[in-house]
Amino acid sequence: MTHPTDRRADSARGPLVRAAAHHFAHKPYALVNLDDVVAEVNVSRGAMYFHFPSKHALARAVIDEAERIGREAAAGVLANKLSGLETLIDLSYLVALLDLREDLARAGLHLLESIGRVDELGARSLREVVNALAQIARQAIDEGDIAEGPDLEDVARLLVSTYIGLRHTSDLGTPRQFLSDLEKAWSLLLPGFVNPERMRYLSQFVHRRTVVALGKVSPQRDPA
Amino acid sequence: MRQSRSEVTRGKIIDAAVEMFNDGGYSSTGLGDIVERTGMTKGALYHHFNSKEALAMAIIDQASGILLKTFQGISRSSAPALESMIHGVLVVAELANTDKLARMGAVLLRIFAESGESSARNYGVWISEMGRQAHRAQLEEDLRGDIDAQAAGEFIVTAMLGTELISSAVSGGEDVLERVTRTWEFVLPAIASQQSLPYLREFLARESLRRSQSTPPQ
Repeated sequence: MTHPTDRRADSARGPLVRAAAHHFAHKPYALVNLDDVVAEVNVSRGAMYFHFPSKHALARAVIDEAERIGREAAAGVLANKLSGLETLIDLSYLVALLDLREDLARAGLHLLESIGRVDELGARSLREVVNALAQIARQAIDEGDIAEGPDLEDVARLLVSTYIGLRHTSDLGTPRQFLSDLEKAWSLLLPGFVNPERMRYLSQFVHRRTVVALGKVSPQRDPA
Repeated sequence: MRQSRSEVTRGKIIDAAVEMFNDGGYSSTGLGDIVERTGMTKGALYHHFNSKEALAMAIIDQASGILLKTFQGISRSSAPALESMIHGVLVVAELANTDKLARMGAVLLRIFAESGESSARNYGVWISEMGRQAHRAQLEEDLRGDIDAQAAGEFIVTAMLGTELISSAVSGGEDVLERVTRTWEFVLPAIASQQSLPYLREFLARESLRRSQSTPPQ
């Protein structure tokens, strides 16, 4: 049941979340000013407070929306029916490209690290990702890409940690650098848990995805 | 997305027709049988499909839509184009033999192969899609630089359709994946660049490993 006024208010929700994503993607949480967000959208302050009584509420809506996009995109990768390890690698490039090109994804990941650290949200969300990746890694054992032995949750946690770490040590502002750093991270990670005889193929698999991803980010060269 | 009532009815008719064509064969099933099976009135059914041929065309279109969407989904991934072509053709071949509607679409397409623009349109869509991917593969230097990408795309569609036809004639489609894999083994050296060929052969060899797994959990 939608009341007419609800519907009008509903139409403000999407634009507010998108505008907020733009700010949260490029500024630290503390420096985001709700007045700037409202100014970008044709919505009154009152309408905004109706939906989002606080900056925290707005940030959580951004995280929710980013998670929705992430889940949808991940389902697409799983539907491609590649092997487990190939799927894990593809997922990392998918996340990297979203992170580099979509404000919502980047804002969601930023916020998970900032406000997610102090509420239960970050821990829950990361635990979900780790569990999902560990399941995919289990498939890679059956396929012989991962040698029997390592704890798969440890492997999954290492992959997640590496990506989050990369967001700090590399630079999302220089997409080409970021993608080549992602490739280097994979080439250092893989020997830790991959069956040695599959290494050559999988390194090529990673490299070929890096090349495709580089083709998708413009400009040809990172800004100096 | 929510379907209108008319779309739901249409879908019900198509599902019933697929079942009945499957059980009794296309030529020996009449519209009257389908009316009976769906429990609709004749008028209601005719409102959607005024002939058995119209119903067959709708099945063909829907089936090829499912297959094409699957192929395009794989092409949109982070993979290089030629990998997506190899993997996509195999996934589509499997789907065409396991999904009831897709399978019936392929059967009907063959029945109408000579007679119409429907099959010309269907094959045309695949040829242009494959050509597009082949062109991308050439830019990525997986496809040899000295061949016509569009022609390579068309050749792949031709080879794979022929393979599929033989498989369904010989084994009822049971061995389609082995046959398609074998066709790729012959096609790859002809179209792949020297430096990519060893990797692509390995990528192809891994297909049986990818298939042995059930779909990972969401």
